[in-house]
Amino acid sequence: MKKLSPYVKDGVVTSSIMVISFLINLLIQKIYDTQTLIPMIFVLGIFLISIYTKGFFWGIAASLVSVLAVNYAFTFPYYDFDLLSPVCVFSALIMLVVAIMTCTLTARIRAQEQLRRENEKEKIRTNLLRAISHDLRTPLTAIYGSCSAIMENYASLTEAQQMVLLQQSREDAEWLIRMVENLLSVTRIGNPEVNIKKTPIVLEELIDSVLTKFRQKHPEQSVDVVMPEDFISIPMDALLIEQVLINLLENAVIHAKGMSVLSLSVSRQAGEVLFTVSDDGCGIPKERMRELFSGYLKLEDQPDGLRSNMGIGLSVCSAIIKAHSGRIWVKNNTNGGASFYFTLKG
Amino acid sequence: MANTGNNKYKILVIEDELNIRSFVSTILDANHYQVLTADTCSQGLLVFSSYVPDLIILDLGLPDADGLSFIRHVRLNSTTPIIVLSARSGEQDKVTALDLGANDYITKPFGTAELLARVRAIIRSRHQLSHPGTEGPRVFVLHDLSIDYDSRQVTVSGREIHLTQTEYNIVALLSQHAGKVLTYTAIIRRIWGEADPGSIKKLQVNMANIRKKLGLKPGENHYITNELGVGYRMYHTEDPSSMHA
Repeated sequence: MKKLSPYVKDGVVTSSIMVISFLINLLIQKIYDTQTLIPMIFVLGIFLISIYTKGFFWGIAASLVSVLAVNYAFTFPYYDFDLLSPVCVFSALIMLVVAIMTCTLTARIRAQEQLRRENEKEKIRTNLLRAISHDLRTPLTAIYGSCSAIMENYASLTEAQQMVLLQQSREDAEWLIRMVENLLSVTRIGNPEVNIKKTPIVLEELIDSVLTKFRQKHPEQSVDVVMPEDFISIPMDALLIEQVLINLLENAVIHAKGMSVLSLSVSRQAGEVLFTVSDDGCGIPKERMRELFSGYLKLEDQPDGLRSNMGIGLSVCSAIIKAHSGRIWVKNNTNGGASFYFTLKG
Repeated sequence: MANTGNNKYKILVIEDELNIRSFVSTILDANHYQVLTADTCSQGLLVFSSYVPDLIILDLGLPDADGLSFIRHVRLNSTTPIIVLSARSGEQDKVTALDLGANDYITKPFGTAELLARVRAIIRSRHQLSHPGTEGPRVFVLHDLSIDYDSRQVTVSGREIHLTQTEYNIVALLSQHAGKVLTYTAIIRRIWGEADPGSIKKLQVNMANIRKKLGLKPGENHYITNELGVGYRMYHTEDPSSMHA
């Protein structure tokens, strides 16, 4: 679908509302034979136009046209202009005032909305930065320490000891990679709906790619997959959506204590594709639910040794899904465990 | 795989990050390849023309020039295989590099096993090409999949798979380039000749049918990997990553 320029769109909105008000008025005049309602209908029209168009131009234009219309068609002398009568000047003034005030109000509301959105984005970023800089320190210290230990005690450490230190360094580095990929995604999203480049991706290929990557990292964890058999192609930034799914699956592995079944299901409904990642582990405490997607987990609340990347991973997921104009939410299952849901426009 | 003595395969590594260059050189050296290094595009071209390596590993983000221009330059009069190292977010770069004639790509960060597997796969397919007497086998075998190029027959565990003409052509094309990523554009050009806006979808639908006929389930795909938004790759028989599946 081609997007109309906002200028053309506003013009279409204005003229159609004007035409509709004019027709309604003609009808009223014909049926009820009264003129009291006529200016009201026009004022309502101007009000609507001022709300749904941008800037002052269309509202003011509509009020001038309305004055002319009332003057020409709906006041004595009918179908003739009488622009100098005080009634005409007065109604013109009123309509102008309505138009200007509504436009001012809508502009102000729009500005506030914009500000609020930017604040929210800023807040997510600050939270992420704070959480991440805290989280990056631990593995970096461990890697630095292990490497120094090996270099400085090369002769005295047994081969097995060195291997353990190296193994840990590699695990820490892998974790850092995951973290940095999340960070990269956040910078990639930047401005919702602007930077994201969507290409049609075949659902089956996406799921295959996700599962292959997931199994390489967690070969011991099986995943039950349920998805439609037909050919479904969804426009998306594949790397980002892949990351959402991997984040959700890995979160379950790391955080869902006592999990035995991990499942990934996809279903199609009314122009949307619904993805569900569900586990039968320990579920999510109620008090954590609300802040789960905001990246606002309090680090002090984390038990020692448990890395808090769940908060970061989920806020990244949420940012990615929002940038795709989808929705993401979480629910505890009635029979234990938690389910994460998100939708994409298909 | 690699030869020993002074008859080693020569690999040119062009990468400006010292640490990455050094770890890549170390593993290649440990696996009996002779390693040449360069840290800029111009130095790379110099080393390339004076030593004539068997394989080039190229980082796309070089300080003096775009790695893509290096590929363009080399491809003017050489078919030396090139493996591109690319950052995760640059899938457009990957596609461009592959379409310019790069043979494969590895996304940073990568592990040593992955790097060695790609290097081996490419050197092996070169080896087959450069020995026309043994002109590729007439049968391709990968796990329980086998493709007979003469009778145009595809079987899985001995059971014959009935593919359409186009589906067979795609499978055969991928298998002839096993181990290498073929971009959508490359496949479309070889199968249908001309590319039009609908052809990627046409290819994807054909691939979906092929997967269905081969009985492949998501995540249990032993034969073909999906490089999302880029193209497809058939595993090579000795590719260790095909064993996971």
